Parts: sequence; C-alpha cells; structure tokens
Amino acid sequence: MSSVTIPRTKPSGPVVPRFTFPQVALAVGAVLLALVWLAPLLWAVDTSLKPEPETTRTPITWLPEAPTFAAYQSVVDQGSILRWFLNSTIVACLVTVLTLGVSTLAAYGFSRTTFPGRRVLFGLLIAGILVPPQVLIVPLFQEMSSLRLVDTYWGIVLPQVVAPVMVFVLKKFFDGVSRDYEDAARVDGATRLRIVWSVMVPMSRPVLGAVAIFTFIGAWNNFLWPFIVTTDPSMMTIPVGLANVQGSYGLRYAQIMASAVLGGLPLLIVFALFQRQVVRGVGDAGIKG
Amino acid sequence: MTASHPTRRTVLTAALGLAGVATLGGCGSLRRDARIREWNLFGGGDGARLLQIHDKFVAEHKDMAFEAHTLAWGPPFYTKLAMSAAGGRAPEVATLHLSRLKGFSPATMLDPIPLDLLAKAGITEPDFLPATWDRCKIDGQLYAVPLDQHPFVLYYNTDICAKAGLLGPDGRIKPVRGVEPFLDMLRAVKEVTGKFAASIETTNPWRMWWTLYGQLEGGFFDESGRDLVIDDAKALEALGLMAKLAADGLTPKSADYPSLVAQFSNGDAGLSFNGEWEVTTYQTAKLPFSMAPFPVVYDVPKYAGDAHTFVLPHQAVRNEADTAATIEYIAWMLKNSAEWAAGGHIPAYQPVVASPEYLNLKPQAEYRSVAPDVLFDPDAWFSGSGAQLQNEAGAAFAGVLAGRTTPRQGLDQFKAATRKLLDTPSPV
Amino acid sequence: MAVQTPPRTTSSPPTTTAPQRPGPPWTEKWGGLFFVAPFGVLFAFFLLWPTLSGLWNSFFNTSLAGVQQEFLGLRNWQEMFGDPAVWASLRNTLVFTAMSTPPLVVIALVMALLANRQGLLGWFLRFAYFAPFVLPATVVTLIWVWIYQPGFGLVNGLLTAGGFAEIDWLNTENRAMLAVVITTVWWTVGFNFLLYLAALQGIPEQVYEAAAIDGASGRQQLFRITLPLLSRTTGLIVVLQLVASLKIFDQIYLMTDGGPNYATRPIIQYIYESGFTSYRIGYASAVSYMFFLVIVIVSIAQFRLFGGRKEADR
Repeated sequence: MSSVTIPRTKPSGPVVPRFTFPQVALAVGAVLLALVWLAPLLWAVDTSLKPEPETTRTPITWLPEAPTFAAYQSVVDQGSILRWFLNSTIVACLVTVLTLGVSTLAAYGFSRTTFPGRRVLFGLLIAGILVPPQVLIVPLFQEMSSLRLVDTYWGIVLPQVVAPVMVFVLKKFFDGVSRDYEDAARVDGATRLRIVWSVMVPMSRPVLGAVAIFTFIGAWNNFLWPFIVTTDPSMMTIPVGLANVQGSYGLRYAQIMASAVLGGLPLLIVFALFQRQVVRGVGDAGIKG
Repeated sequence: MTASHPTRRTVLTAALGLAGVATLGGCGSLRRDARIREWNLFGGGDGARLLQIHDKFVAEHKDMAFEAHTLAWGPPFYTKLAMSAAGGRAPEVATLHLSRLKGFSPATMLDPIPLDLLAKAGITEPDFLPATWDRCKIDGQLYAVPLDQHPFVLYYNTDICAKAGLLGPDGRIKPVRGVEPFLDMLRAVKEVTGKFAASIETTNPWRMWWTLYGQLEGGFFDESGRDLVIDDAKALEALGLMAKLAADGLTPKSADYPSLVAQFSNGDAGLSFNGEWEVTTYQTAKLPFSMAPFPVVYDVPKYAGDAHTFVLPHQAVRNEADTAATIEYIAWMLKNSAEWAAGGHIPAYQPVVASPEYLNLKPQAEYRSVAPDVLFDPDAWFSGSGAQLQNEAGAAFAGVLAGRTTPRQGLDQFKAATRKLLDTPSPV
Repeated sequence: MAVQTPPRTTSSPPTTTAPQRPGPPWTEKWGGLFFVAPFGVLFAFFLLWPTLSGLWNSFFNTSLAGVQQEFLGLRNWQEMFGDPAVWASLRNTLVFTAMSTPPLVVIALVMALLANRQGLLGWFLRFAYFAPFVLPATVVTLIWVWIYQPGFGLVNGLLTAGGFAEIDWLNTENRAMLAVVITTVWWTVGFNFLLYLAALQGIPEQVYEAAAIDGASGRQQLFRITLPLLSRTTGLIVVLQLVASLKIFDQIYLMTDGGPNYATRPIIQYIYESGFTSYRIGYASAVSYMFFLVIVIVSIAQFRLFGGRKEADR
C-alpha cells in the first residue's frame, strides 16, 4: 500500500504521452458517470429549493422558478431534526471511542499476551465474526428491555461496540509490529498498558484511523439496531427519526427532500474534508482484512 | 506527509466528543412539571389539525410539559408503540384504533384508565354511545377512551360534479343507489375530468372492499371466531366491481395514499373514496369540494370505519402526577373535539355531537347520520386498522385492481392468508 | 484496569526475543486477560448471550406482550418449515443478492479503472462515486422514492419526456426489486470502488512500463495485467458483497415495505414483523436461527472457495 506515495518516475518522458485520444475519452466517460452518480443528490437539492406546489407539477420543472429555503426553515422549526443530529453525534462518537478503546486492548491482549483460555476465547471471537448482528435483533431487544436499556444511549451504543472483526484486523496488524520497540519500552519500566498507549497506538495510527472512520460512518448511518431499540422519537438518531416521525403534513415533498439533504450533509462534508484518509482507510482495511 | 491530517481529525473528533459528553450530563435534570408525551399516527390533514389543537392545549396548560409525536401510520406506529410498552418507557398517552384494542394485549401492554380521575376531569360513561363504551372495556376494565368515529365516505369536487350534472338544486350531490346508477355517476365524472372519476388507494383497498362486502351483508368469521365464513359470491361481486372500475379507467389501477390525495387535489379525479380525515388538506388547498355518505351501491347502508381512542401504554414505573395530567389532557381533548371534528371525524363525546358548534360544520356534519352503520373490522388479534389482515387484503387485492390477477385469484390468496393467520397461535 | 501495574524488574537482559520474563507469577499468567476483559464482557453480554437466548426462545411461544410462556419443543421450527412466507422471503433475499452482486462488482471495477491516475480530476471522481456511500439509508431511500414517484418523479419525468410510458416502479411486482437494486448499486458501489482503487494503486508502475516497452496495447495491458492482478481483490469483494447483500433490510423496508404483495420482503423483515409487529418472539427467533445457519453456510462455503485461492495467489 505504502508504495502508492512513492513519487517515482516523474519525468519518464514519452513513455506515456500526456493526452492521447483514449485518455480524453476515458476522462469524459468518467465525468459523465460521475454526473449520473451525482444526479440524484442534485435532484434532491433542486426539489428542496422549490415551493411545495411546484414539486408535483407535471411536466416537471428542472430548476426552481423561485428558489426558496422555506422547506429547510420548516424542517428546522419542527425541532426534532436538531435533536436527532445531537443523538447521532453522541451515539457515533461513543461507539467510535469505545470500539477503538476496547478493540485495541483486546487485540493487544490476543497478540502479545498469553493466559489460560486464550485460544478458546480467540476461537469464540472468530466465531463471533460469523454472527450477523441482524439475526440478533429479536433476542437483543428482549435483553435490552429486561435491562431497561430501551430508549437509552447505552442501549443504542453498547451492542454496536462489539465488533469482533475490528479486533481481528487490529490483532493481525499488531502481529506484524516488531517487538523491538516494546522490549525497549519494557526496559524503561513501562507497564504493558503504557506500551499499548505509547508504542502500539502510535505505530498503528493508519489502521486505527481506518477503523475509526468506518466505525463512525457505520454508527452514524446504522439503521436497523437504533430502529429496533429506540421507540421514543426524542431518542432517535437521524436515520431512524427521518424514517419514522412525521413533522409536517399535507404536500411536503420539498420538506422531505430538505430533511434528506440535511440528514446527509454532515457525513458528506466530513468525507469531502477527509477524502484522502477515507480512501486510504478502505484500502488498508481491505488489503489487511 | 500525512502528519497534519490526523491532527485535524483528532481535533474534530475531540470537539464532537466533548459536545456529546456535555449533553449527556446536561439533560434529564430539572423536571418540575407533570410530563405528557403523546404519540399519534395522524398524518395528512388530521395531523395538521391535531397540531393546532395541541398548540391550544399547551397554551392553556402552562404547568404541563407536553410533547407530541406523529409516527408513520399503521404497522410502524403500532410496532413502535408495542415495543415501547414492552421496553417499559412508553409515552404517557397514545392514540389507538378501537379495532386494535383486543389484539394489542391490553392486559400487558396497556394500563387501565383510572375511572375516578376520568370522572374528576368531567368525563363519565353516559357521555358516550353504549356500544362504543362497551368496546373499550375488556375484562371489566376500561382501557381506552373513545375520541371519534371515522367512516368511509364520498368526497366530491363541486365544480366537476356540477359540470357532470350530479348536483341537486341545494348544491349537494344527488344520492345514488344501486350498481348501475353508481357506475353512471362515475362515467359522468370521468367525462368531465378526462382522466379518472374517483381517486382510491389501490395499495390498501381494504376499506373499499369491506364497505361493498358489508353492503352485501357478507360474513367473515363464524361465531366462535375460529372459522372463516366468507361468502365467495358476495366477495367476488365486490372485488369484481372494484376491478371493473379500474379496468374501465374510472379509478386508477395503481395509486398509493399520497396519490389518492394528489389526484383529488389536482382535479384528475372529481370524486374520492376515502376516510373522512382529509378535510383539512383540501380546505387548505382551497379546493371546491363537499362530502356525503358513500353511496349504497348494494343492499344495505354499511360503511367501513373505525374509531380513534386514547390509551395509556404500559409503563414500568408510572408517575402519579403525570397520569393525572394525562387524564386531564384526554378530557380536554374530548371536550374540545368539535375542533377535531372539523378535521372530518364524528365525535364520540356526545355533548359535542349535539352542540351547534359541530352541527354547523360544513361539510363535516353532512355524513354524521352514518355513525350507527359504521362497520368495524372483523374481530381477531390480527385484525383492525393497519393490522395484518388489512395488509393481506392489500397484498392480494392490489394485483386485482392493477389487472394482474383475477378477482378469483385475489380472493383465494386473501382467504389462504387469513386461514394461515387463524391457524397461527395467538401471541396475546 | 489501573490494577495493571506489575513492578518491572529491569534486571533481565533486554535483548531476548521471548517476551516471557519473570514477574509476579499471577499477573504474568493472567494479566493478559485484563486486556481482553472489557471487550470480552461486552461480547458475552451483547453477542454471546443473545445468540444463546435466541436459540432458547425458539423452543417457546415467547410473546412480546409478555403473556403466557409455554415450552413448544420443535413446534416453532416445524411451523417455520411449512411457512410459505419464510421461503418466499428467503427467496427474495437470494434474488436480491443475485441481482445486486454482479453490478456492484463490475461497476465498481469500471469506476476504479476510470478514476485511477486521473490527477486533479481524481478527487472529483472519487467524491462523486463514493459520496452516496456515506449517506444514511433513510436519506437514500427518501431521495429514491421521490425519484421513482409516478407522475412527477425524475425517472418517470425522463421516461415521459423521451416519449416512453411511465412505470410505477415501487408498486409493480416485477419492477420493485429492480428499483431497489438500482438504488442499492448507486448507494453502496462506492465501497467496492475504493477497494478496487486501492488495489489498482498497489500495482507498481514498472509493470505497465515494461509492458509498454514490449509493445502491449492499452487493451492488452488491461486484460493481461490489470485484471489478473486484481483477481484477489475481486474475490475479496465478491465475498464481502455476498454476505452484505444477504443481510438486506434497510432499503427494502424503507422503500417498498416488502411489497407489492410481499414481492420484495426480505427474510430480516419477516423476522422483524413476526417478532415485533405480530409479537411472536419465539417464532421470530426460530426464523432468525434458520437464517443464521444459511449465512454461516454461505460464509464457510466462500471461505473454502476463495480462501484456497487466496493462499494460492500469495
């Protein structure tokens, strides 16, 4: 992977001429495909800027005749969407931080320490990767209901923190880290916990970053589990709230599109800012995994 | 080379985390008022109306923390309500269709209504029709307070119907009776609109079928409630008529609920067969329209319908002050149900029904005569508004209206599905 | 966790490769467990326990309403095997998987080939192709239900503008699944695209340079070098995609609610409906378990199939 960044053969002369016809054709094709891919998003934005009656006009109008933010205004005024933003932020942050912490420790434990039952536990972990969370919704809801965790942040968060595959990826990465650094730290009297923090974590920053990004995106976008475990609209996350709660009535396509745009915007911005990390993260996780 | 990026990321994450922690600690404290969380399933015109009524309630009750949420109608709403009751943190009050009461497992999922508090708030048994009140009682306990009744009705666009020559001298639609006059009326409307005569919801055609089948006096379950006694000939007659309407282009072959509303609003259809709850939507749209009882197409006047009630979902820990406030809310809603009736429903609270405020509502009071002829859904744990039986009917009959399957096939599928439900051990 | 501070004796020689060194015997032997414990506890509570209690429930008539609970033995399982809705929804799940996987792999590959080494344009292309992936399911489906809308939706708007007949995508039995697949491809192809892109970028430039010197055309380079070198990635993507597609629920529930006439209802939605809408926790648990077994079998089969190939490729 790291070979990507090596800037080799920069002025390699006429081997690859800069703009040949096929290259231009490919670039044009690529851009056309990109536009097709962006079209639904643009259409959503377009609709959200129309006054409601214009949304259902036939034949359809391509651009709003008099663009207005009225739909956004009413979506925000209804209040719930801000609450859901907050819930999503809390949930996604908690899930990310806890998953990273718990998985890093466990990965270190499996990679570097021995204790009775380690093999059995690791076997269980591998088996856990095979268990799709989707088939657990029924018993897990019952459990949450007896623990009184339905409609709580912990009820949404804790099951999402159990990500055996993350532990597995991190363990494989730790396995590849040379033990020399650790031994040196041990000589200096560092505890093993300290070693995890000051040796393993810095050494595995890219892979931890990848895990963090995907855990965050996954938690922010997770629909099924929060959908099951939240019934109170004020505890819902963005995807669940948008799907279940109605804040307005009558003709409201512009408002629906406005709420969709608002619901999608945060991660689009994050992605635009951190594109390089996301792209690299997928590569790392994919090639390691 | 990537050194700066992780920092940016870290800063962002840390900031978000801090914000999160701050709010985690921040909420949940300082609860001084009695709290009422109300869940309902009112979309469309109803929802808009309820919002106004709630605003008024909040203005008059500054000492209560009131919060209302509308969840998507039908299975999504009922599933969430059941799950919240099972989870122990249910809202203080919710709406429930009367037809769903028994199947909702009131003994475990609902808390009984404290009659003393209700009486203190000024609501007592004589305020309701006995039949309605009795339906709200299960094993001697009152589990629901009825708010309204809502039959299947006929909406008509007065401009279009005037052009079609269907209005009487008083400006009201002339009542028709029998299949042929009914078809003639639709054909006349179609001629004017050039598109459809009536807008219907083909994805959930239960109400229309149940109305027509009821007008033929068809049965459903036997007295034990364990056997299906659908009269095939009558069922097929009703279904066949619906298929014919679609095939002749008098009604759309495929339309979901929003399309039903849209087609009547934009004049693609001059009539609409629907529950009476879209009054507000059409009034807001300044549509020239009125309403009437659905025509008696067959033998007897029967109209599919249901009633909305208030229930107290089961809470693991019930707060007395909240419950008292909740009962006050229910009582207030009943006493002010003339406003609710303006949205189309026939009030259940009889003092309001007799009030001039209600009687002067046009067109809302035009069909109040049908109240005794409202036909509830068959009685079973899987039946009622938005319950599985209606879904099965939708699944089986939508294809018939679209012309993909014959009425016979549709009916067979529906009967098989109903038998399967009957064979399923009841979970309540 | 702060217990974890065994006093280190610096006396032992630091250069030995074996990390086992004399410390307090208790922590040396059991200390590792503390690292695993936090994860282990959560794992036990929120994965292991529900897995077992689900199996247990499948032998009872457990109800969400919390009424009577009776031991049923295998009756839930018997009922399940005779329940046409189980098989129909399982079939829908498989049909969805079969319809969605090929385009999700092929389009991802095409995108990666198009976006690879595009310089500044690359940023825009990566953004456009991957952006839908970061949207929540609800946002995606709100947009697409609107797009598929008869009358004034974008797709039908284009169809009618082009002189074609409208299609009521989501309410027509043999169109609804196609509509869901199109939406899914739009939404999730970005992830596979990035996997391919990473793999493409991992192919050293020299390989192409050498090929170009040998006179290989662009087409030959693509079919003789690029695609063969991507085979391992393709295997990985197919594996990930198959398992992901089998777990379909969100889009279908949100777009068609399993309709029309249950033509799109996936197995997870049937589990949801049985357990929560119809209160039948016990029965839903049995169906969950059956589906769980299907997933395990598919996973193991794939592991056999592609796992072997992976080793050979190395």
